[in-house]
Amino acid sequence: MKRKMLCTTLAIMMASSLIACGSSKSSDDAGTEAAANTQGDMENAVITIWSPSDKESIENWWAEKIDEWNAEHPDMLAAREAIDRSDSYAYDNKIATAVTSNDLPSIFFVDGPQVSYYAANDIIVPITDYFSDEIDDFDPATQAQCTYNGELYAISATQSGVAFYYNKDLLKECGVDTDDLDSRTLDNPITWSEMADIAKKCTTDSYVGTHIIMDHGEGIPYALEPMYLSAGKDYISEDGTTADGYVNSDEAVKTTAYLADLIANGYANVDPITDEFLNGACATELGGSWDVATLEANADFDWGVTYYPVADDTKKAVSPCGDWSAAVSKDCENVEATGEFLKWLMNTENVASYADAIAKPATRASSYDEECMAAYAEGPRALFVEQLQNTAAPRPRTPSYATFSTDYAEAMTNIFSDAASTKSVDESYIKEQLDSVAESFAEDYNTYYAK
Amino acid sequence: MAKIEKLSGRKRDERIAGYVFALPAVGLLLAFLAVPIIYTIYYSVFQYQVMRPNDILFVGLENYKKLFSDSDFWISLKNTFYFTIVVVPVQCTLALVLAMLVSKKYRGVSFFRTMYFSPQLTSMVVISVLWTVLYNSNPNTGLINALLANLGMEPINFLTNEKTAMNSIIFMSAWQGAGYQMMIFLAGLQGIPKDQYEAASVDGATPWQQFLFVTLPNLKGTIKYVIMITMIQAMKLFTQPYVMTQGGPRNSTKTMVYYIYTQGFQKGNFGYACAVAAVFFVIVVAMSLFLQKVTADK
Amino acid sequence: MKSLKAQNALQKIFFYAGNTIIGIIFVSPLIWMIAASLKPEAKIFANMNSIKTFIPEEASLDNFIEVFRRVDLANVFKNTLTYILLILVLDLLINSICGYALAKFRFRGRKLILSFVVALMVMPMEAILLPMYIEMSQLDWVNSLPALVVPSIAKCFSIYMFYNFFKDIPDDLLEAASIDGSSPIRTFFSIVMPISKTVYATVFILDFVAHWNDFMWPFLVMTGKDKRTIQLAVQSFFGTQPVHYSAIMASLVLSAIPMIVMFVFMQKYYVEGIASSGIKG
Repeated sequence: MKRKMLCTTLAIMMASSLIACGSSKSSDDAGTEAAANTQGDMENAVITIWSPSDKESIENWWAEKIDEWNAEHPDMLAAREAIDRSDSYAYDNKIATAVTSNDLPSIFFVDGPQVSYYAANDIIVPITDYFSDEIDDFDPATQAQCTYNGELYAISATQSGVAFYYNKDLLKECGVDTDDLDSRTLDNPITWSEMADIAKKCTTDSYVGTHIIMDHGEGIPYALEPMYLSAGKDYISEDGTTADGYVNSDEAVKTTAYLADLIANGYANVDPITDEFLNGACATELGGSWDVATLEANADFDWGVTYYPVADDTKKAVSPCGDWSAAVSKDCENVEATGEFLKWLMNTENVASYADAIAKPATRASSYDEECMAAYAEGPRALFVEQLQNTAAPRPRTPSYATFSTDYAEAMTNIFSDAASTKSVDESYIKEQLDSVAESFAEDYNTYYAK
Repeated sequence: MAKIEKLSGRKRDERIAGYVFALPAVGLLLAFLAVPIIYTIYYSVFQYQVMRPNDILFVGLENYKKLFSDSDFWISLKNTFYFTIVVVPVQCTLALVLAMLVSKKYRGVSFFRTMYFSPQLTSMVVISVLWTVLYNSNPNTGLINALLANLGMEPINFLTNEKTAMNSIIFMSAWQGAGYQMMIFLAGLQGIPKDQYEAASVDGATPWQQFLFVTLPNLKGTIKYVIMITMIQAMKLFTQPYVMTQGGPRNSTKTMVYYIYTQGFQKGNFGYACAVAAVFFVIVVAMSLFLQKVTADK
Repeated sequence: MKSLKAQNALQKIFFYAGNTIIGIIFVSPLIWMIAASLKPEAKIFANMNSIKTFIPEEASLDNFIEVFRRVDLANVFKNTLTYILLILVLDLLINSICGYALAKFRFRGRKLILSFVVALMVMPMEAILLPMYIEMSQLDWVNSLPALVVPSIAKCFSIYMFYNFFKDIPDDLLEAASIDGSSPIRTFFSIVMPISKTVYATVFILDFVAHWNDFMWPFLVMTGKDKRTIQLAVQSFFGTQPVHYSAIMASLVLSAIPMIVMFVFMQKYYVEGIASSGIKG
């Protein structure tokens, strides 16, 4: 009897969830549009697009833009498919399988540092000609990230960045001068030792001093590269052919040791939870530009954000960047129409409305004149735009980036775990780990790309 | 005479029926499991970057040579066996304990059964995300370390220390999987004749003695079967290290399937990944045939 | 007599106390998931150091509303159920007759097929994903229902389960039927199948749960909203940074409901199914 009741209850719950779903559909037409993850007709379209599925505002943006284009170009119909993905690796798998069966759409979105990988393997084709007269309107970091062997292979509408967030309430509790942090400028950012000092002062029984992105994946090379650049050496040589003498250089070991030291001393957690800063479990963080909106909406404390820290000796300001970019695939049958479409998609107005919908800084300088970008004129958002236009550096442009990124993230996890377990920093272990990253990079590069 | 004719007719019928019945499944298995395996072996003698399907290079046994000197391969193999050897007794024992707990027909027993089975009802990815948070090393953000701190213990870096990472995954996997084996044990328990317990209890056997001398001998067949399927599932460990530790720290949670997946997809060394997969296939197939032999009837 | 009663009462107390304590440990992550689905994004990972994390302080259905807005759940459930039921009907039929042939018919190659089934049982999907995809594209099945259904029908695990079960059916029963003039094939459908409902239910549950949670294969071979399955819809919430766990948790709770309903309905058969599947060697 009891079981029957439980079954009935569950069945009713399920049925009501379906009904609720149906009713939300009829009561809210815009919602239904957003719920659809295809815009346009993929079967009959001349121009087909794949991009990762995203929040409602972006799905709506796509619907609107595809309709707009199709109304004006009935002979060159476009359609876009949202690709569901659990992580960026799953998305890459989807591309890899489509490559083997020649099933790529005309345009697909790739994460910034993967552009070189796809370009070197001829999965995507150059689009330099379509953007030659307006490329300078895009920020320098975007131009650099999307260029491989002197040709433009992709283009993006938005960018991202990382900066130093601080919880003013907690900092004041620990006697740190927050006015000083508030007053910093791009010419006078905080240094590593200042950051370590704040982290030390603010490590208490109930929260840690700072937070380093530790997602075991692409987040690590993304967020930490400027540290290495500021110390003097990038991960990989400028021409993208070697990592030896770069990621395992003395400068790199020193930089890594600095970070490991924060963890060994307990100033930062080795496996921080998502939203650690928002939950008041850390006093400061190296956080993404996307955190601005989250904090504005949810934080119940006073917070500020200042520029990405610089190395004490060089004082060279560098900051992370990178975002999903649109590229034209090798399987594209109508390159002419696709190029035209992409050019239109990435015009000043569309870039502005896209950036507004996705709540990220726009890549085009002219887009900031649009009304919807007004929020970027001051406050934390302006800081990210300022970094983007002046100090942002793209990740290494090398076809072996995928291998590098996986191995580097693994090495850093090992190094940080070691520091956390032993509560000390072992420079020879750091060197050994970074050496193996350089070694496997060389193996991948020499196997597939060295001519 | 007529009877013999009938029998041989039946034998022929049986033979035909045997082929008719076995053919569809065997055909599908050949087409969709054996063929991909043959492809895997075929590609294992090529240098094949996953993004360059039109540019593959025959390299003979080069990938296999590389594999034998690849320390990551051997570590992954070792970890896979370690996981299997530890998780099988832990998970099977836990499952048996749970089954004993819910074998009596008390009111509400099916509610408890559902509770123990519930970790099976959510995808492994989500269970792994959740346990990553539970295992968090800081007592301010990790529930298990918060409990330890309340008991006055030092926090443990469950997933970020090479000594504890694999064991943490083992514990969590046993927790997640035990409900499944519990259902099988439960079924086995229900099949034990009641009079055996009664006889034992008349002889003055304690509950523990009853368990040892009545329950266990009667469960022998079930135990064998459960051990076999648990081992097979354990050899395929992938999701937990993929989500929780990415094989680290210091390779302590890198398993065979995880290694094949990262080599083939993440790094794009598809030819090499195929060689690793082929060697792994040989090992697990040999093992499962051996298991089938020892657990077979008679 | 009195002491026996006392012993019974003691057993009862032990039963409820033990099961409640251990039960809580088993179900708590699920409770956390449900609690998280009712919390605002900012509060999900708050209070992780105390029991308060299991209690949503400001419970609301906002996360569920977001899921309904972003996902056409009725359509997704329909898609998933359609393809899973299609697989399961064929799965139950084809694997059961194969298991029966291996258990009850004498024919050349039987032993070989049995070894083949056992050997392939250990094959991990993740290791042969790309070759499977290549085969789909050679058959020109990518983005069509056959790619989702056909490769998933035959399963070594199911065959082995059926084999173990049918093995224990007494031969007398089958011989009696054959003397009555029933052909072996007819005997299976008219006698064996009706008495084996339980093992069918068992395989149904196991395979239903496996396919319901499957992500990678549908993700690779299917593109398009009309073909979206439940796990694809759930994974779409992982999207780009920042990851919104609130919506993920809500979508997970919703996606678990059909499975819980099914499990509760089928549980009775399930136990009996495994009980009689001939595993007492």
